[in-house]
Amino acid sequence: MSTLEMDPVFTEALRGVLAETVEESSRVRRRWGWRLGASMLGGLVLVGGGVALAAGVFSPPGAPIDTQLGNFISATRTGTATIDLGPPPATANDLSLKLTCNSVGTFTFPNGSSLSCDATDVSNPPIARTASEVVPLSPGVDSVTITARANASWTLQVAFVDQVTTSWGVNADGQTFGVQNQQGTPELLAVVIDQGETHGYVESSELNCAAGGDVQTPAEALTWDKVSANRSVSIPVYQSNGTTVIGTFVVGDASQIVPLASLSLGC
Amino acid sequence: MYNVSPLEQLLALHPPDDVTLSSVRTVLVVRASDDEGADWEASLANDANAFVSIFDRHRNRVYRHALRMTTNAQDAEDVTAAAFLELWRRRKSVRLVDGSVLPWLLVTTTNQARNVARSRRRYRALLASLPHSEDMRSAEDEALQRIEETRITEQVREALHSLTPSDAALIALTAFEHCSNTEVATVLGISEGAARTRLHRARARMAAVVGPIAGADGAITKMEESQ
Repeated sequence: MSTLEMDPVFTEALRGVLAETVEESSRVRRRWGWRLGASMLGGLVLVGGGVALAAGVFSPPGAPIDTQLGNFISATRTGTATIDLGPPPATANDLSLKLTCNSVGTFTFPNGSSLSCDATDVSNPPIARTASEVVPLSPGVDSVTITARANASWTLQVAFVDQVTTSWGVNADGQTFGVQNQQGTPELLAVVIDQGETHGYVESSELNCAAGGDVQTPAEALTWDKVSANRSVSIPVYQSNGTTVIGTFVVGDASQIVPLASLSLGC
Repeated sequence: MYNVSPLEQLLALHPPDDVTLSSVRTVLVVRASDDEGADWEASLANDANAFVSIFDRHRNRVYRHALRMTTNAQDAEDVTAAAFLELWRRRKSVRLVDGSVLPWLLVTTTNQARNVARSRRRYRALLASLPHSEDMRSAEDEALQRIEETRITEQVREALHSLTPSDAALIALTAFEHCSNTEVATVLGISEGAARTRLHRARARMAAVVGPIAGADGAITKMEESQ
């Protein structure tokens, strides 16, 4: 039997990459698990944080408006590193961060959000491996730190931002309507349905209930998950007045769709 | 930034496909007997150590096959790396033969070696980042010298390119890796009868291309012997 072997240095590096790839896949899958919750909704619930608003784009009440101050600063580093930003402009209250992974690894923003890249990701164009976050600018802090493993390379673009959060609307019945933001969740939550054709609002309480909001234990969650595999739950979409129905918002991806009102979910 | 519902939080903490305690016990018991199937099951549950032990179990065999199918040691290393990365990327659809991923790896290695440039494309940045020993040149020469007796010639390599990927895998694995028709057929998802027929036709086509070439005789003889 031949004892032909690969270059030991190459072998060791490849072994490390394979182990990291498996570990990263685990993390990525967890992240997708979280995202699945959003993608299982037959429409999109709009949230305040990080929503980019441009002229002509649907901008529900409560959404933040970001104004970039100055240009992006760009830096490429390996491992955990801190980027000095210099003194912030007087009106800056947030930082806009665009983080690109250049190698396999998990890269963590100052707010705890992270970007995980596996072996396939790093061969994609930069735009496909870039995550954006807007994080609060702490007084007296003029730097930003990205956390990563020692050999993990990343590129960060940073700009100061003046972010102003608009107020929720209040309809004739006194219900707040808009997007989730730092203040919490309005009673009527902005949604987009029909592939973006229709903008409207759902009752936050109904959405929570339809998404299994009263589940308390892991066992109940698993049961809910099994039941949800066979049926989706629909809730009405209203205009901002909270009474005129303009469509249906579906929670779940099963073909059988059951209205929330026909279920006794106790929430 | 999504407002995650309690359900989603619970599912994130306790994903439905999490390994249960009973399956952990099973895996531990089976792994104690060094069973590759258990390592594979554990790998599918994102156990990095289990996947690395599969790599360590098969890397030399895969590398030797890659050396045979390529023109230099660095190509062979990149093809080997790509084969294991593909093993992970396509883990949901890998067909095991007698509890082993080796036949799948060897078929994949054959396919990757048919077009090294294409194989590198997907993992370009990653492969470029993997270091080599300082004295790589001498190691490469030594490796090539030692594989020479079973190394396929350029003509055979080109002839393999004239076949479909699955026919090339049938030829290469039965001739050089002493895989049985059944093993290769299982990985390719065809019946043993179909494998036999296709192998017969592929060998005829190969012989038509490389027959007159002296350097290819050894390879073809080995193929004949292995049948």
